[in-house]
Amino acid sequence: MIILFVALPLVVAAVLPLVGKVSRRVLPDLLANATLVFLLVYAAVTGRALIAGGPLLQQVTWLGEAVGIRLALDGFSLFMLVAVSLVGLAASLFAIDYMEHYGGKANYHALYLIMIAGMNGLILVNDLFGVYLFLEVAAIASYALVAFGLGHDELEAAFKYLALSVVGSSFVLAGIAVIFGMTGSLEFGAVAAALRELDAGAVVAIASALFLMGFGLKAALVPFHAWLPDAHPSAPAPISAVLSGLLIKVSGVYAMTRIFLNVFGLTPALSAVLMVLGAVSIVVAAFLALGQKDMKRMLAYSSISQVGYVVLGIGLGTPLGIAGGLFHLFNHALAKGLLFLTSGSVQHATGTRDLDEMGGLAKRMPITAAANLVGALSIAGVPPLNGFWSKLIIIIALVQAGEPVFAVIAVLASVLTLWYYLLMQRKAFFGPLNEKWAAVKEAPFWMTASTVLLALLCLGIGILFASTVATWVQPAADVLADGVQAVTGSWGF
Amino acid sequence: MIVQTALLIGVVLFSVLAIALRDVLRSAISLAVASLLLGIVFFKMNAPYAGVFEISVVAGLITVLFILTIALTRAGDEVRESRLVNWVFPLVFVAFVAVDALVMKSLLGKVPALAAGAEAGTFGEVLWKGRTFDLVGQIAVILAGVFAVLALFRKREKHD
Repeated sequence: MIILFVALPLVVAAVLPLVGKVSRRVLPDLLANATLVFLLVYAAVTGRALIAGGPLLQQVTWLGEAVGIRLALDGFSLFMLVAVSLVGLAASLFAIDYMEHYGGKANYHALYLIMIAGMNGLILVNDLFGVYLFLEVAAIASYALVAFGLGHDELEAAFKYLALSVVGSSFVLAGIAVIFGMTGSLEFGAVAAALRELDAGAVVAIASALFLMGFGLKAALVPFHAWLPDAHPSAPAPISAVLSGLLIKVSGVYAMTRIFLNVFGLTPALSAVLMVLGAVSIVVAAFLALGQKDMKRMLAYSSISQVGYVVLGIGLGTPLGIAGGLFHLFNHALAKGLLFLTSGSVQHATGTRDLDEMGGLAKRMPITAAANLVGALSIAGVPPLNGFWSKLIIIIALVQAGEPVFAVIAVLASVLTLWYYLLMQRKAFFGPLNEKWAAVKEAPFWMTASTVLLALLCLGIGILFASTVATWVQPAADVLADGVQAVTGSWGF
Repeated sequence: MIVQTALLIGVVLFSVLAIALRDVLRSAISLAVASLLLGIVFFKMNAPYAGVFEISVVAGLITVLFILTIALTRAGDEVRESRLVNWVFPLVFVAFVAVDALVMKSLLGKVPALAAGAEAGTFGEVLWKGRTFDLVGQIAVILAGVFAVLALFRKREKHD
């Protein structure tokens, strides 16, 4: 019943505003979080058993008759479902306390669950138009969530995000039209098989360019990144965490990777383009992050930089590179989710995002400060945290593949990352306490609990990295390393 | 062929007008005309369902929404716009048309006529049997739209 990943959050979202009439806070909080707990348990506990015998293909039936819903679950999609459920749950727990003063909580949770359903749908579909459709489902919910605070900044950021995101979607749709026109099919396996038979180098190149621009915009790779540093900081903290931690990866990296590696097959030219885009994103965004005074804006630039690592690793195309890229995707989702949530705790307590106004907050908010430190060190790649291992795997893969220049860029940018994160630590949490914050208290229970959960995961996965890679990352990387074979061989209905 | 070319030129022309005109009302009407022409192109190319939706939803419903929204706004202060746009847009547009023409010229001979795939059938069959998951996505999009409107036009609670 993998349709539950899409259907359950949608059904709960549909009834939430009605439930909100009966109970404004408690029931919507409970229902939304229970849904996400169920999805996490379902993905993490039963997911591996479902795909033990190879990819699971499901033809949904309605009243005994087959309907046109075909879903595919393999190592890669299961890996993404676990990431979405885990970070989605942490951000939703955080919202119990954080969204209290925004009002309209039932609506908030409804939109949030639709965004989760959109991401899950995108992960499970096995045809190109489905990718576009669920990309839009998640995006439309996210525009409203960015604007949820209704302030001038939020509305402006949401509008800018909408305008650029629509451009990205249009490129994706144009790419799909080109492929449909060429092959007469939309299903991954059929398209991959048709492209192998046709001598269609030029058309695939045009479609690749369109997808690269479209998904590049969604993933906020440099030079398509302009919308992200406005949209992500302006959103409520749990939404920033999900946008940076999950949405750019699902609607950008996942969709792009699935299509390029499993449907088109990674060519040397495409690999080179992805690696260059990844490396440029890593360096440019790291320098831009260094100059930021707004805490969440710094985190947003850091997201662009870290997505660069993911794309660099996957773009390399070797099994080790892909595994490193995917592992970093997961680690970054956890750590960036954690950092955005802790920045939300700080903003909730102090009312500011300006690093220059902060100072010494570790004395007043020790748990938040410690959690933030774990997230920052993880992304900067400090052992034994999870981010260290994924960056190490990417760098080893680059060296093994004979790409020392990219490896050096990855190492040096990691130093830059550590630099701006230490700046953030020093300005926000260490040093003498700014007198303005003498009365500041630690964040409320659910906000603290969700950040502690993510911090423990960063630490735990760092210590148990070998088993995490073997259990979750390797099956996902194997699907991508199989290339076109993965969808033409075992995906047919 | 001549009628079709004229219609397509009309689509491009009115789309450019929709972007270039400064009066938002005229801009919305230009967009409606562009959609209407595109709908006729769909009819002429044997895609009546696409034509019906294009004309009824894009040219009709969305134009009504645009005009309603414009009617609710007032003329305010002059919005300063970068003059760069006046130069960049025509340049990008001409470059795009040139690249598009070159690419399409090289593609036209190579792209085979669209094969009638599994999706062929009546509109109902395609929608209900072939693309049911798209309906789930459509429901999600509509829900997202409704909840977005409810959330963005909500009354602030007392303690806000």
